[in-house]
Amino acid sequence: MAKSSNDFFIDFEKLSRNRTILLVGRNWAFIFLTFMLILFSFLGKNFFSLKNFNNIILGVSSLLLLASGETFVIISGGIDLSIGFVMGFVCISSSIIMRDLNAAGYSPIISMMTGSLIGLLLGLIPGFINGFFVAKLRVPPFIATLGMWGIANGLAWRLCEGFPVGFLPLQVRDIGNAYLAYFSPKKGFSFLIKPELTEREDILNLVKVIPIPILLITFILIIFAFILSRTRFGQHTYAIGGKVDAAIRAGINVPLHLIKIYIISSFFAAAAGVLLVFKLNMGVHTQYTSSYELFAIAAVVIGGASLTGGKGTIWGTLIGVLLIGTLNNGLMMMGLPIFYRYIATGCILIIAILIDQFFPELVHRE
Amino acid sequence: MKKFIITLLLICLVLSFVSTICAAQLRFAFMPGIADPFYFTMEKGAKAKAEELGVELLIGEYPKAWGPEYQVPILKALVARGDIDLLFTAPTSTEALIPVLKEIHDSGIPVITVDTYLGDGDYSKPSNYNFPLSYIGTDNFLGGQVVAGQLALLLGGKGKVFLENTNPDTSSVMNRELGFRAGIEIFPDMELVGVEYCLDSQETAVAQVSAALLKNPDLGGVFGVNVFSAQGAYQAVVSAGLEGAVKIATWDATETLIEALKRGEVDLILAQMPAEMGALCVEWGVKYLNEGAELPKKVIPGFFIFTQENVNDPEAQKYIYK
Repeated sequence: MAKSSNDFFIDFEKLSRNRTILLVGRNWAFIFLTFMLILFSFLGKNFFSLKNFNNIILGVSSLLLLASGETFVIISGGIDLSIGFVMGFVCISSSIIMRDLNAAGYSPIISMMTGSLIGLLLGLIPGFINGFFVAKLRVPPFIATLGMWGIANGLAWRLCEGFPVGFLPLQVRDIGNAYLAYFSPKKGFSFLIKPELTEREDILNLVKVIPIPILLITFILIIFAFILSRTRFGQHTYAIGGKVDAAIRAGINVPLHLIKIYIISSFFAAAAGVLLVFKLNMGVHTQYTSSYELFAIAAVVIGGASLTGGKGTIWGTLIGVLLIGTLNNGLMMMGLPIFYRYIATGCILIIAILIDQFFPELVHRE
Repeated sequence: MKKFIITLLLICLVLSFVSTICAAQLRFAFMPGIADPFYFTMEKGAKAKAEELGVELLIGEYPKAWGPEYQVPILKALVARGDIDLLFTAPTSTEALIPVLKEIHDSGIPVITVDTYLGDGDYSKPSNYNFPLSYIGTDNFLGGQVVAGQLALLLGGKGKVFLENTNPDTSSVMNRELGFRAGIEIFPDMELVGVEYCLDSQETAVAQVSAALLKNPDLGGVFGVNVFSAQGAYQAVVSAGLEGAVKIATWDATETLIEALKRGEVDLILAQMPAEMGALCVEWGVKYLNEGAELPKKVIPGFFIFTQENVNDPEAQKYIYK
């Protein structure tokens, strides 16, 4: 019997001894991303351009933040479904504060700072509640965060009554759409300040390097990637996701650690919400149909994390997010209707889960 | 104990009679389609008219998402109280709401559909959905054509345009798209270079219009079919630095869009008349119930076009959704 099953299935032991296959298996998402970049550069008009890469990365910037927070939760063996709506809630709250302070005559700087700070602080509360329920009351993460999913959404709706929040200080838009450096053939280099151009030709030829929001996100990601990979806090996160019992025996304060992890996840969602205010120049609640939390989870899984916990990295998640973003953008630039894009994203996700399920020795070999 | 229960029941019975007699005024119910500025404005228009005519107006809870699965349970709870004289509602499905509203109609509550309709919206011919008293709403196809014409006017009758839509499964926005396509076809020098669906997410709309701008560097105009797609579209144009060069036409005069028009970020807004639709429902409902008046089967209150020129006119202000 044993022999026949061996004949039927692929011999993973043997496969995983092959270095090339091991390398491909571990980095399939990255290889796929590179392959897509090459493919779309041939197929899509204007795909391979700095402007389009800016579009891709800006398009997935909120997803990138959400997925990074989700990475911590998934590594610890949990799941956080509330992030999409926490983002919407923070987006609405901080934009309302900015709008009202601005209307009350405070300077734009003070309005924006207060709005952003209070937004970020508000975002910690859902995380604490999630963590408390999961860690102390032993509510399954799926249920606890689903509850917060509804609460955050309801609060956001209540606050904005369905209207987008506008009338923000004009500087919000200028900051959210600023780049680190500009180069115009006519006016030369300039840093942070966009050159005044009137001719359409000149506007189209303006080269913009590194969007400011992306610079900030990179900064946050480096800090948290360091925390995850180089600190005791990170090691404990992996330990809890790997084997809770072992973690407890090793003397880790598991409940406290879990609360911290859900707060981190919620903080990332809050940061995404504040970022959204600056990006869109207004406060918007998250639409039901957006499914941010699902795409964030998908990106984490594509990036090599396991839904059963104990595995995953921030950089893997970054690749996952870029893969989803590039796939969407590339198919869009090719002019493919939206329906096919959903199918394509679904297929990629299935591939990721299949690889995680059936080739664990290949992908996660220590 | 038995006596106590019987007495209690009797008291309840008497009280319910009293309340029916006291409530000689008419009681209308309004069931909106989704929580958004459009229906909020409709409610305000209906409320003002109801106060004026002495009608009590019950408002159904606003569904958080579009679709019968969200609307029907709330609608059923709303009419379950059984003392409603007339219902006006925006059915969220042309088919799925037919049996539900038919049942309400058969229980003796006359129904008016507002903004959206049952079947094909023509209640004057024999069908299984011709029971509502009237359809009061917008002709989305016509509106799409009007926007196409106005955008062509802005662009001098030539150039490339792009359409940012929301949900490919909703009749109202799809009719706007069809109308817009038909309207653009009238102009031989105009070309519709693409259509995208953002599913009501502003962030997605930004990404989609950004890609369209990159694909078509000479794009002349964008039509965003609702609040979310239009605001996403103008954000994409702004971040490309092309405000003014790319004309943006949009639908629904929310305060944020009006502000954008004043800042010069949006060039054209087609306003529906939700407040008027709501007021008409109440007014005609009263006429029907008190005077037995015959209602027209279809009423289109018309549009108002906001541009840079008229946005500050005093008489235009009433068309802004508030």
